[in-house]
Amino acid sequence: MFPENGGPRKVHLIASILCGNVCICNTGVCVSGKTELLYHFLCRCILPQAAGGLETDVMFVDTDYSLDMLRLVGILDSRLNRDEAALYSCLSRLLVVHCSSTSHLLLTLHFLETSLASRPSLSFLLIDSISAFYWPDRCEGGASIAKQEEKLGKCSDLLGRLLRDYRITVFATCHAIRSCRPSSAAASTESDRPYLCRPWQRLVTHRLLCSQQEVADNMTVAVGQQVFTVHCTSSFSTRTKAYRSNSFYVLDGGVTFI
Amino acid sequence: MQRPVSSLGLSPSVKVKLVNSGLQFTADLLHLKPLQLSKDTGLSQQEALEVLQAVKTDGGGDEARGGRVPASLTALELLQQEEEMRSIVTFSSQLDAALGGGIPVGKSTEICGVPGVGKTQLCLQLSVDVQVPQSFGGVGGQVIYIDTEGSFLVQRVIDMATAAVKHCSLLVEDDEQRVAMTTFTIENILSNIFLVRCHDYVELLAELHLLPDFLSDHPKSRLLVIDSVACLFRQFDDLSLRTRLLHSLTQQLIAMATRHHIAVVITNQMTTRLRGSHSQLVPAFGESWGHAPTIRLLLQWAGSRRMVAIYKSPCQMDATIQYQITSEGFRDADQPEQSQSKRPRTHTDQ
Amino acid sequence: MVVLREGMCPGLDENVVRDLRAADIKTVEDLVSSDIEELALKCSLSYKTLFAIRRVLLAQHAAFPVSGADLYEELLSSTAILSTGNPSLDKLLDSGLYTGEITELSGGPGSGKSQVCFGVAVHVSYHLKQSVIYIDTTGGLTASRLLQMLQTETSNTEEQMEALQRIHIFRLFDVFSLLDCLYSLRSGRLQQASVGGGSVKAVIVDSVSAVISPVLGGKQNEGMSLMIQVAGALKTMAKDFNVAVLVTNHVTRSDNGEVRPGLGVSWSHIPRTRVLLERVEGAGSVSCSSFRSATLIKSSRQVLPMALILMPSAVLIPSEEFC
Repeated sequence: MFPENGGPRKVHLIASILCGNVCICNTGVCVSGKTELLYHFLCRCILPQAAGGLETDVMFVDTDYSLDMLRLVGILDSRLNRDEAALYSCLSRLLVVHCSSTSHLLLTLHFLETSLASRPSLSFLLIDSISAFYWPDRCEGGASIAKQEEKLGKCSDLLGRLLRDYRITVFATCHAIRSCRPSSAAASTESDRPYLCRPWQRLVTHRLLCSQQEVADNMTVAVGQQVFTVHCTSSFSTRTKAYRSNSFYVLDGGVTFI
Repeated sequence: MQRPVSSLGLSPSVKVKLVNSGLQFTADLLHLKPLQLSKDTGLSQQEALEVLQAVKTDGGGDEARGGRVPASLTALELLQQEEEMRSIVTFSSQLDAALGGGIPVGKSTEICGVPGVGKTQLCLQLSVDVQVPQSFGGVGGQVIYIDTEGSFLVQRVIDMATAAVKHCSLLVEDDEQRVAMTTFTIENILSNIFLVRCHDYVELLAELHLLPDFLSDHPKSRLLVIDSVACLFRQFDDLSLRTRLLHSLTQQLIAMATRHHIAVVITNQMTTRLRGSHSQLVPAFGESWGHAPTIRLLLQWAGSRRMVAIYKSPCQMDATIQYQITSEGFRDADQPEQSQSKRPRTHTDQ
Repeated sequence: MVVLREGMCPGLDENVVRDLRAADIKTVEDLVSSDIEELALKCSLSYKTLFAIRRVLLAQHAAFPVSGADLYEELLSSTAILSTGNPSLDKLLDSGLYTGEITELSGGPGSGKSQVCFGVAVHVSYHLKQSVIYIDTTGGLTASRLLQMLQTETSNTEEQMEALQRIHIFRLFDVFSLLDCLYSLRSGRLQQASVGGGSVKAVIVDSVSAVISPVLGGKQNEGMSLMIQVAGALKTMAKDFNVAVLVTNHVTRSDNGEVRPGLGVSWSHIPRTRVLLERVEGAGSVSCSSFRSATLIKSSRQVLPMALILMPSAVLIPSEEFC
């Protein structure tokens, strides 16, 4: 999906991302390459076409206070051969908002809706992470599950409308909340199970699952290099599903697919 | 920056009601009267009053100050406080030296070891030592001794008290010390030990719940002994409940140690941990409990010798010292060769 | 959710609020989520008025977008890297603790977490002449140890005392007191602590797990929610006041003997950088080792695999060299 020189089977997904109306949910435990993948995607969006990017505007919704600007600039720098003017023009295509609760997120998305009409170049929405307020929402909802999920449900409905009406692409990360033991397959499926509310799950067209991978002998990576795998499950309107997976490793310049 | 209502120390159901009524931040509550709040949210008037109290003491999360905002002190002030607080001597001068004066008041210390190595002996010794009058460099305090195993032996305390009284009476040099000795008697030593017998963990938790009031009523208390915590929590089916109880017990103990200036001493057993092929004796309750005590002493056998190791301490280097248990109590091991060292640090400090 | 109140914005008077309430529109969220046209009919209010109210409320309550270029500019001018006072640890952390971020030290009992915290506090207060907030939740902070560390730096008593005065200590033992403290710091106490010294550059919480662990499990939602609140308060404080936040965490041991940081998966996403400290155990006795190892287990700057350093427990005295 992301490799610039990807084979034919990856082309379809790039095409579908470009035409919008796609919601990608990226899940993984801590140190699974999830954040690197997010930055990879973000860079692809804001880099100029000359550098292999899409040169579009991106709204980054930071719910975790997690945006690591220094890391982002590090990746951009290496793609732009340290051209400072180009770097700033890239960064000016990025808009960042901080949200402190699900209701704050909801209001912000409504606000975004009003600005989308006047800013057609804004076609990507990144949310890091959509699961940030999972526990506070559950706690504030009391015993009622419906109440617990009400606010994120509203956000999802609104995002659905934005996807449909403005054909934007949503890329969200979702933190794992259960630990998985790499050794046991049964436990790992347990930890991958989606836990956010149904309206959100219905919205997601591509589910990415990141994990750290044991390095196999035939891989051409440096000794000691950590290798990550991303599994992608895509659901299409025809109710068909497609699976694919890619491995990548992380260098100063960001994600490199194997 | 606004403070969410859910971060207040109120019962979860109260917080749910507040949030469901659209009162998300403490600032939303500031202008409300109890009656109105109760009407808006369906809380009882009592609950509404408590909510507003909590918000008020918090200062409403904005510039309106006053009320209960946590107090801070500078490291310099803490240093002065520490210098005023003395440590409780162990009557082993080498251990005292390694600990920087003895078992510190205001901190928690855990004594770990296999059965019979001398944990209870050290606890009893400390219960006597904490009463050494201030004119002899002691703390001159009282003791709360929580016995969970029935191992508190009055006769041993009498033996140790007798030795301690004798020791101090030999050191008398001035009038102040002479006066102090009139009250430093075996009878008084025994009457300054408040013994509590706990048979299960519920009793222990209940006792600890009441203890802050007891400590306020007995401001001379300087030592709390729990011998032992382990035996009450050994048989426990729900391990996560056990962990949680132990964690909150820890925090209660530390809060008491800090607020009431007492030394908290708890004993713990050893358990076997398998690490690949070799096994190792480690303190019970695992890694997370290990954070509970500020200082951790390991009593171990090395052949027929008894050794005490400082395993964890914020201000002392790791050290291992040999000791012995005599009829008089806890003492340095090499007494016969170095008669000087048997004199407790108390008075070399003077 | 924010309750609609009269006077929140122009046009939102008592009557409008009452009419909206009658239509079951109580909060700002309700209002912005509803179809204004329908609502205008339902409440017999003018579409124009409602539309204007909605626009103003959105502008008031939504998060405001900032350009990435501006953020980067700001970051360049404000970010500082604080040395931990320990060259090897600094190397592991890519120069030290970054302001605006949370760094976590985890480790078992006696693995040297508090000692590293003391070292940071002393380094920031003495070498950088800046203030430090030290939140002690375990009773482990000993001022005489701080003094001991300062004495290896300078023999000038006045300088030692000045450095000690720049370290502000809170001793709190439960999660609500910690939250009280963090929110009061955020709403002004932090600046107050700067008075009479440098500005506050580091906030240390030793340990964060001691107060969070007792509320986890059981009524899990409440505990997890409180944990996220603590995390949020620390993160926003780090960013908004541009301070380095250093927290310590305990460890748990899995069945196969593997050590990992405590507080579970949800907490693992919180610190930007995580370091695991361990005693290097000699064979046999538990007590004979004086070496500690530090392993980087999460970082956005250093390419993992984790570097590994060894230090004798005397690290702990900042001036001492170790390999």
